[in-house]
Amino acid sequence: MEPGRGELTPPFSLAGEWQGKMEEGKAYSPHGVFAHLEMLEARAHEADMKEEEAKQQEEKLARLKARVQELTLQRDELQVKVDLQQKRQLEKEGVASDPAQPSAQAVLEWKIKRVKAMLQVFCLTGISGKLTKQGVCFCISTAYEGTYLDSYYLDLLTKPEVRILRHSIPIFIPLEQLAKKYLQTDIRRFLSVLSNHLNAYAARKYQADQLQEHFSDQIEGTLQTNSLCNLLVFNYNVPNKSKTFPFNVRLLYGDLCSSIPTKVTVSCTSEAPASLAEMAAAHSDLFCHVALHKAFRSFSDAGESAAGAP
Amino acid sequence: MDNSVCQVYEDKIQSLEEEIKLLAEKYEDSQQESTFFSDEEILMSKKSFEREFWRESQGCESPSDLKAQLESLETDLSFLMKFTGIQFTSHFKKTMEKTRNRTVQKHRLSGNCHSLSFQLEFQLLEMQNKENVSVVVSDLSITMESGEDSDVSKFVSSIEEHGNLLAFFRSLSSYAEWYEHRRCTFLHFKAKYPDVVTLPEGLLGDYIILRNSKHSGFELMVVWKIHIDEEGRTTPLLDLLTKVPEQVLEWKMATIENAPTGFRSMLLLFGIEAAIENLIKVVSLEK
Repeated sequence: MEPGRGELTPPFSLAGEWQGKMEEGKAYSPHGVFAHLEMLEARAHEADMKEEEAKQQEEKLARLKARVQELTLQRDELQVKVDLQQKRQLEKEGVASDPAQPSAQAVLEWKIKRVKAMLQVFCLTGISGKLTKQGVCFCISTAYEGTYLDSYYLDLLTKPEVRILRHSIPIFIPLEQLAKKYLQTDIRRFLSVLSNHLNAYAARKYQADQLQEHFSDQIEGTLQTNSLCNLLVFNYNVPNKSKTFPFNVRLLYGDLCSSIPTKVTVSCTSEAPASLAEMAAAHSDLFCHVALHKAFRSFSDAGESAAGAP
Repeated sequence: MDNSVCQVYEDKIQSLEEEIKLLAEKYEDSQQESTFFSDEEILMSKKSFEREFWRESQGCESPSDLKAQLESLETDLSFLMKFTGIQFTSHFKKTMEKTRNRTVQKHRLSGNCHSLSFQLEFQLLEMQNKENVSVVVSDLSITMESGEDSDVSKFVSSIEEHGNLLAFFRSLSSYAEWYEHRRCTFLHFKAKYPDVVTLPEGLLGDYIILRNSKHSGFELMVVWKIHIDEEGRTTPLLDLLTKVPEQVLEWKMATIENAPTGFRSMLLLFGIEAAIENLIKVVSLEK
């Protein structure tokens, strides 16, 4: 029997131990007896605790089991409800209203959800907003092709004159310049031009991000860019070609409302063979017309088809 | 051993709770999307809601919370439609798939931007990843009223190919504004100089004819095309065509030949309205 194991010891070994103790020292002191009694008490206490724990565990398991049953029943009922709803809708395709007369509250709640859905559609159009006590809070959305990117807020005061109260436009977008030029005379034009800047920035950033996400194996070192993402410099390898002559590319986006660069320089070291120099020129031309990540995708595709060619 | 059994039950409970939440949402969405109440029903509900609460509350809680919320939302919506010029006339939405991280909805929208009407269908995918929600448009299909215009159809095809819903609306806004500006300008001149100005193709056409009623052989045609490129950039293109009887042509050849260039300079210097106004004055004076 090892101390601390906490199991109930069968009687005979206790007697044996008792006997052992008796044999060890003819004269057993009261101290020894008490110590032994304490040990027995501790053991019994431990046993009680263990029993209590086991009981609690059992109760917990029983509770959990009951909860699982309760939830399973709830889930199954809901499932039946949904299936019935689907079936009814298939039979009566098109609009169907509740057979029971809906309460005024239900009707209003329905209408509220509908108006909210319509307001969400406005977010997809690029300009959405909400009237405030002092004016309007506009929300400008950005997107690249089908993917929606960040949205930006512009809280405007309209009295006594139009002013920007708060905004979440990044600092490198020339907001003050644009506001000075358009805000007082034509708010729509102001928002439209601001949206052009923001969308172009978002598109440039998206291209750089996509490049790093999908073509990092071709890029050597890091992509250097400024916060406005209108200057991009990096080195890359052409797929399936040796990695000894990486290309260096510098993309300058002179038009802040555009996501296509105005000036591209692709260069390779002077030791590189002429064929690579030609390729660099071809790439330079490509980058002027095609989005960055799409250009890289075309390299991979071309590389694959070249590799597959006999 | 007991602990792992507990864990199994706890996992099961969590997954059931999630399932229940999704099923409840699915039921709600389906109910919402398949129900329709007309404007009169909405109005009646607003009134009866107010009455119900008035009777019950007698001053304790604010009675028309729902009504106020609805009115505030409707005000926001009508402001947006007026401000952007985009009016949606119908919106049909159906939730196709909804799981913990992914919602797929099919939308059908119709409306107009100023005088240009459109119909769209698209699929919207919302995915919840670690930090944020990503929203992607796919299967975009657009029908435009002025679809026969080759410019417009090229633009629309390019948009559909890339699912570029945002760019569509941004370009549509600017295109429609030019359309509207042209329509208003034509209307203004027709009203101000009814004898001189004619609109053979009406207010939505792309040219006007200026003629002096006394000298019917002499005509100036101002062509105002609104061009939209594949990327959605709108450019107005104006030009002047002259129709001159032969006798006049003989001695005023130089003036006639220079007229289009002169018109373009006027456009740059004075803008569209002033340039056209000048032409009208010239035509009216012509003896």
